[in-house]
Amino acid sequence: MIGEGILSTNQRPHTYVQDEITTGFFTDPTVCIGCKACEVACKEWNNVPADFAGWTGHSYDNTTSLGASTWRHVMFLEQPERQGRQVAGPMGNDHQDPFRWQFLSDVCKHCEEAGCLESCPTGSIVRTENGAVYVQDDVCNGCGYCVVSCPFGVIDRRDEQEEDKGGAFKCTFCYDRQISGLTPACAKACPTESIRFGPLTDLEREAEVRVSTLRSAGYEDAQLYNPKETSVKGTHAFFLLLGKPESYNLPPRPEVPTVYLKDAYTSMAGTALFAAAAVVALFALS
Amino acid sequence: MPGLGTSFGRGGATTAQQDLQFANCILIQGSSMAENHPVGFRWVMKARENGATIIHVDPRYSRTSAMADLWVPIRPGTDIVFLGGIVNYTLTQERYFHEYVVRYTNASCIVKEGFQDSEDGGGFFSGWEEARRAYDPKSWTYEGDDLGHPQRDLTLQHPRCVFQILKRHFARYTPELVQRVTGCPPDLFQQVAEKFTAASGPDKTAAMCYAVGWTQHSVGVQIIRTASILQLLQGNIGRPGGGIMALRGHASIQGSTDIPTLYDALPGYLPVPRGTKEHDEEKLDTFLNNYTNPTGLWHSLPAYTISLLKSYYGTRATKENEWGWRFLPRINRDHSHLAYFAEMFEGKVEGFFLMGQNPAVGGQHSRFERLALSKLKWMVVRDLVEIESACWWYRSPEIERGELTTDQIGTEIFFLPAAGHAEKAGTFTNTQRLLQFREKAVSPPGDCRSENWFIHQLAKRLIAKARASTDRLDEPLRALDWWYPETEDGEPEPEAILAEINGWKTDPNAGSDGVFMGKDRDGHPHHGPQIGDYMDLKDDGSTASGCWIYTGVLGPDGVNKAHRRKPEGRYGHGWGFAWPSDRHIIYNRASARPDGSPWSKEKELVWWDAQRKQWTGHDVADFKKTKAPDFEPKPDAKGLEGQRGDAPFILHEDGLGWIYVPRGLQDGPLPTHFEPIESPIQNPVYPRNTNPAVNWFTRDYNPKAPPGDPRFPFVLSTFRLTEHHTAGGMSRWLSHLAELQPEMFVELSPEFAEHLGITHGDHVTVVTLRGGIEARAMVSRRIRPLLVDGRQLHQVFMPFHWGAAGPFQGGSVNDLLELTAEPNISIHEGKVCLCNVIPERMPRGPQFWDWFKGKVQPDARPNRHPEEPPPGAPDGGRLVPGHGQHGKSHTL
Amino acid sequence: MIATPQNHPDNFEERLHQLREEALAKGVVTGAGVHAAAGPMPEPTRTPETLNTVGYYGLPIIKPPVWKWMIGGYFFVGGLSGMASLLAAAALLKRDWAMSRAAMWCAAAGAVVSPALLIWDLGRPQRFINMLRVFKPQSPMSLGSWVLTAFGAAAIPGAVLTELQFRMLERGTPNAAIHGLAIAAIVGSASTGVLLATYTGALLGVTAVPAWHLHRKVLPFHFGIAGLGSAAALLELLGFRSPALRLIGYGAAALETAVLVTLETRKHAEADEALHKGKSGLTLRSGEALEGPLSLVFRAFGASPQAAGCFLAGALLTRFGWLSAGRESAKNPRAVLASQRPALPAAPSRRQRSIAKPQHQPAESM
Ligand SMILES: Nc1nc2c(c(=O)[nH]1)N[C@H]1C(S)=C(S)[C@@H](COP(=O)(O)OP(=O)(O)OC[C@H]3O[C@@H](n4cnc5c(=O)[nH]c(N)nc54)[C@H](O)[C@@H]3O)O[C@H]1N2
Ligand SMILES: Nc1nc2c(c(=O)[nH]1)N[C@H]1C(S)=C(S)[C@@H](COP(=O)(O)OP(=O)(O)OC[C@H]3O[C@@H](n4cnc5c(=O)[nH]c(N)nc54)[C@H](O)[C@@H]3O)O[C@H]1N2
Ligand code: SF4
Ligand code: SF4
Ligand code: SF4
Ligand code: SF4
Ligand code: SF4
Ligand SMILES: [Mo]
Repeated sequence: MIGEGILSTNQRPHTYVQDEITTGFFTDPTVCIGCKACEVACKEWNNVPADFAGWTGHSYDNTTSLGASTWRHVMFLEQPERQGRQVAGPMGNDHQDPFRWQFLSDVCKHCEEAGCLESCPTGSIVRTENGAVYVQDDVCNGCGYCVVSCPFGVIDRRDEQEEDKGGAFKCTFCYDRQISGLTPACAKACPTESIRFGPLTDLEREAEVRVSTLRSAGYEDAQLYNPKETSVKGTHAFFLLLGKPESYNLPPRPEVPTVYLKDAYTSMAGTALFAAAAVVALFALS
Repeated sequence: MPGLGTSFGRGGATTAQQDLQFANCILIQGSSMAENHPVGFRWVMKARENGATIIHVDPRYSRTSAMADLWVPIRPGTDIVFLGGIVNYTLTQERYFHEYVVRYTNASCIVKEGFQDSEDGGGFFSGWEEARRAYDPKSWTYEGDDLGHPQRDLTLQHPRCVFQILKRHFARYTPELVQRVTGCPPDLFQQVAEKFTAASGPDKTAAMCYAVGWTQHSVGVQIIRTASILQLLQGNIGRPGGGIMALRGHASIQGSTDIPTLYDALPGYLPVPRGTKEHDEEKLDTFLNNYTNPTGLWHSLPAYTISLLKSYYGTRATKENEWGWRFLPRINRDHSHLAYFAEMFEGKVEGFFLMGQNPAVGGQHSRFERLALSKLKWMVVRDLVEIESACWWYRSPEIERGELTTDQIGTEIFFLPAAGHAEKAGTFTNTQRLLQFREKAVSPPGDCRSENWFIHQLAKRLIAKARASTDRLDEPLRALDWWYPETEDGEPEPEAILAEINGWKTDPNAGSDGVFMGKDRDGHPHHGPQIGDYMDLKDDGSTASGCWIYTGVLGPDGVNKAHRRKPEGRYGHGWGFAWPSDRHIIYNRASARPDGSPWSKEKELVWWDAQRKQWTGHDVADFKKTKAPDFEPKPDAKGLEGQRGDAPFILHEDGLGWIYVPRGLQDGPLPTHFEPIESPIQNPVYPRNTNPAVNWFTRDYNPKAPPGDPRFPFVLSTFRLTEHHTAGGMSRWLSHLAELQPEMFVELSPEFAEHLGITHGDHVTVVTLRGGIEARAMVSRRIRPLLVDGRQLHQVFMPFHWGAAGPFQGGSVNDLLELTAEPNISIHEGKVCLCNVIPERMPRGPQFWDWFKGKVQPDARPNRHPEEPPPGAPDGGRLVPGHGQHGKSHTL
Repeated sequence: MIATPQNHPDNFEERLHQLREEALAKGVVTGAGVHAAAGPMPEPTRTPETLNTVGYYGLPIIKPPVWKWMIGGYFFVGGLSGMASLLAAAALLKRDWAMSRAAMWCAAAGAVVSPALLIWDLGRPQRFINMLRVFKPQSPMSLGSWVLTAFGAAAIPGAVLTELQFRMLERGTPNAAIHGLAIAAIVGSASTGVLLATYTGALLGVTAVPAWHLHRKVLPFHFGIAGLGSAAALLELLGFRSPALRLIGYGAAALETAVLVTLETRKHAEADEALHKGKSGLTLRSGEALEGPLSLVFRAFGASPQAAGCFLAGALLTRFGWLSAGRESAKNPRAVLASQRPALPAAPSRRQRSIAKPQHQPAESM
């Protein structure tokens, strides 16, 4: 439900950080109007530079993806599907030739098991009191390992090798705002509360209700995207989707790369031992 | 907005965006609300969540359509037929709200004998004077010529009662006609008609939202009139979840019509006096006689006018000098934007102040507007950045193509940097008449200064010069009461201005209670206590008020109500101040039955509290608080006392909602469909193609393609993007916005792309008789070809945010549009013209026009509409009696 | 470039077929044609590429590695120098201080060049030291940083000590302390060196990049053996000849051949096609051919220096090959999807499109 009376739920002051309550985002494309206010508010608040991807022709999306300088990204999908029970002019009317235009605001997932965090060699990436995954900009040395460790393609390193630019960047979950009792800038700017912010458990409950409401309203392909059953163990920013995750470039079965550690380290140790033994043997015996 | 003004009384949205959440159905038509009013759109989404049906009728599938339950495409400029079809459906299926229609509208009023409907006159109503190209509206009035006391037939059976006229008038607007003209398939139309009408009644309401998709047409006002008729028939005005939400443009565009930047209106919708031979308003008394109504709120026009003059001229406005009446300029012809640019083009304008506008991009036929600027001797541009209108003399298509050369241009240009909205204090009046005072966040950088500072400093200097002169022409300047106390930065105190707008007792000795900022700049007592309500304004010079409709915003309690920030209740009373008198839903007397009780529990808003003998409810009643529902006026009673207790539309003499407008419009008392000035077809409804009263600007530089011109087989319409703002001065220069939509594009259908042999992303050139611009092809199924008048019609859509200056440049779509002016408000037809699409890039530089001639064949046929009058013909009757009084304003 | 329909081509074909039939039968076609999904429009001229792209306009689902050529260089240098110290240690078994000295210098040089390359690639080079802020074994990068540091700490003094020991032995003035220290340093660098040469495989294997993590078991082995072979090859090129070196050369080439065979036979379809296709595939395969079969052939013909050179070139090339394959595979959404779903199911036809199952059961009541 949008708002309380004439106020937005995204305006409530809070003390989640102080109370160490895990917060999250529930993003619902069925009320997203594709206004990109979230994208702009994020850049404004966090002083992130523009990245000028140019005219892409990807519908109205000219930012293409999340990245070092885009921490919120609104996707535009034109699909031959029906949006709920919408009648879209002559297209939807005979149900022969359906059409829908969807918008979804993507963001760092703040994974329960975060690939970026696990991989970071400097300890720059930490988990904050409210459960968010946070890059400490003054620690990161720009090694770039988190970039390949994020199963969602979120975090990225900026090209310029400069003290204030060359590091890895992603959504901070507006830690600076949250610690002051404010809502993250993107959620606050969202006019339709497509981005809902709050305690994760509340949001999860709300989301399930939302899905069943939508399903009974004709959105038969409504589902939640929150990969709990994979090694990621769920995300703090989760989404309602119409249709398959792939269409939104969301991986269907993301895995936190640390699940590969055992194999890789076994092989590594085995190889080291094998090489040592073999070399020693060869030298000793030859 | 005389569409709303003549229908209901006030030229403003009848409702508030928050109220949309209570609607059972919302019809958004002529607006892409999700894109252009995204914050307000939250209430539409909330309504949808509450179960309301959202209908979007728009030629293109936009972000708004994506959120709607029903998207219905129509051909641009055919809304009268679409809405007229619903009116007809309502009448034939008897889906109207009977009691509301009978009691609260003028459906029962008897129209004078001799009135002839357009149905019988081939598109013309009675009173057409071909020589003047204008209507004489005398025959449109009620039987007995007394608008205050109409003869009514509450059975609605009298053949000349409005209801019967209406039925006959709209009888031809059948679903078949709707399909033929608009291209909307009948089953879709049927769904809209059913859903909309089913969502109206005693326990249901439906709302409408529109913006410039309706206004920017040669029949714009009449489109809004059709909507008003429909809402009156459905009984949706003045009720929660109902109403017509006129979505305005710039942040305070409502404010700039309330306190207008228009040539023909004074603050509070008072007309500017005329100085023509037929209309000589040299004397104040003549003026007051012309405009004062015996009954209704306009009865107090003398008090409003004289209070305004007192605020302008202070002690120099006396009874003897007619309160300074003669200091006001008189108008004798059309001085609207397009008209004075035409004069500028003809070299009749010497100097020009351009403050907060970018006509070189946003102005119609913008090539013409740029050329007009080059005929000036000097111009002053105050803007945030160096926009196209400031740098056209060295960067513009004309310079590029060699049509203008910098060192041959005689115009001297002064660019003065302006302060942005966060850098100055003052009020905005938003789209729902809500005044919000905003504090200054930071001081403007460098030499940037606010408008207040600039005007104040300019005024002080001009007044000083005038004082040193004895020229009679300087007298209005000498007479000005320029009293404003100053801030440290040399700005006039914003709250002092607001206090003056609110109004006060003029006598400084009238008591010290309730005085707000009572001393002038030099420390002398300047005025008495503030007044609290416009009812307290007097016509004897004892009160002054800068804008009567705003009275109450800063009353005797000294509280700046526009600055309040504690929203309470359903509508957020306590946050800002909604004119009039903090009423959020106007005409809300209509939310109660004639006997004063709510129509239903679900839809209660204000009601008569019989115990306390007053109106009460969720909103401030838009009615005399203590006037009982069964009040019967005495025959000669004046003003509000002359209106019945069940007459909600208190600005109209009869207190009724006007389904039929007996006075105040230039192009007829009822809407009639005319084709756009440039149209692919002949008008299927009437033998006449175009609105007879439109101003054509017949000029060589303003060519127009005749109907069905084979050189231009496609329809071009324009729209906005959420990511940009209007002519781009506030978005193309900002990296965070510009990167979101970096390049000009044109939206077209896959079918059309196939026809042209182009692919998504290709560069194409769109041409009209006025010129050509290049754009990327955005091929999408969001654009559908329509079957119009039996043939397939392709339409293309272009945003209008780009121009030749700044970091992100692109073609300006207004280079393609022609000049014409709607007869009531002189608005251009910015939403439709004929075009062709050339599937190749456009050459830049001097070779452009040769290329253009090759591609477009501009000289192959006459470039004039057969109905276009010859050059020099009268441009329609703009200055006839009654004009301007009913809340005339320009939806910008 | 633009449209990226989700539909399976078969779906189009099916509908097109219907249209043709209808046209034949009735002379006119009613109803809808075919439409691309997810793209803003169907391109009038559809190409297999536009039909084959998936996801969101065919854009990458995960981020490609940002690492530049320095990292490939580092993998090579690190592998070589790490394993060189192992050879230095092994040579001691034969009391071959000359070989040990050369190997230790290789190791030391590697210990200097490696961090230089790494730092060069960093976004914020001046903060290299932050690598040692924490020790996180779950991060191969962190582990590797510590390994490299430890290796450097052992190998650089180790090289000096070995040199001293070597000279003292030559001059006939052995010093027990130096001897002991040198041996300790050599053994220290060898034991960290083997990790240095192999962890880089884990570094790539423990990522979200399909072409890498699918081969997480092979990679450390592959890189380790490549490092070992390179170290031996370099020593051979420096003029050292010993049966052990030769056997190592044979062995490494043979094992790399086995890796090549494994990679070629255990393909993961689209998920790791970057290892086999395109520029990255070419680089990788030619690198492996050089390392494996080709150097085996040279060796068979007794051309040790040629075999060594071949192996070195191959070892370097494979590292670049792996990086570029990683880049390609990360950029290709099909690869990412294929790695997460055994095979991309054919899109159901529009009318019978099955509804994705919700991952959460809707709440009972609302
Ligand atoms: N982001 C953003 N917001 C803005 C502005 C902006 O530039 N950017 N501008 C502000 C201003 S100044 C204004 S005036 C408002 C304007 O707000 P809107 O009127 O919503 O703006 P437009 O996009 O120009 O036009 C609205 C829609 O009208 C449709 N249309 C065109 N012709 C017709 C027609 O004949 N009939 C019907 N039914 N529809 C038609 C167009 O397809 C378009 O979708 O927005 C204000 N808000
Ligand atoms: N084809 C077509 N043409 C159209 C329309 C359309 O829909 N289609 N829409 C029409 C409409 S509705 C409108 S409103 C017009 C808009 O057209 P314009 O009003 O000409 O364009 P804007 O870009 O809004 O111009 C406002 C300028 O004011 C500047 N500005 C902002 N704040 C301040 C301030 O505080 N002080 C000063 N001095 N300057 C300031 C901005 O930088 C900007 O350059 O375009 C019209 N033209
Ligand atoms: S989405 Fe990626 S960047 Fe965000 S927390 Fe998860 S792994 Fe880290
Ligand atoms: S780039 Fe920065 S945040 Fe990412 S892994 Fe390296 S040090 Fe950590
Ligand atoms: S939470 Fe803050 S940093 Fe993250 S996307 Fe929203 S605004 Fe940006
Ligand atoms: S601000 Fe909200 S509605 Fe707008 S694009 Fe972002 S998520 Fe969607
Ligand atoms: S820009 Fe201002 S007026 Fe326009 S939608 Fe946003 S908040 Fe409302
Ligand atoms: Mo506007």
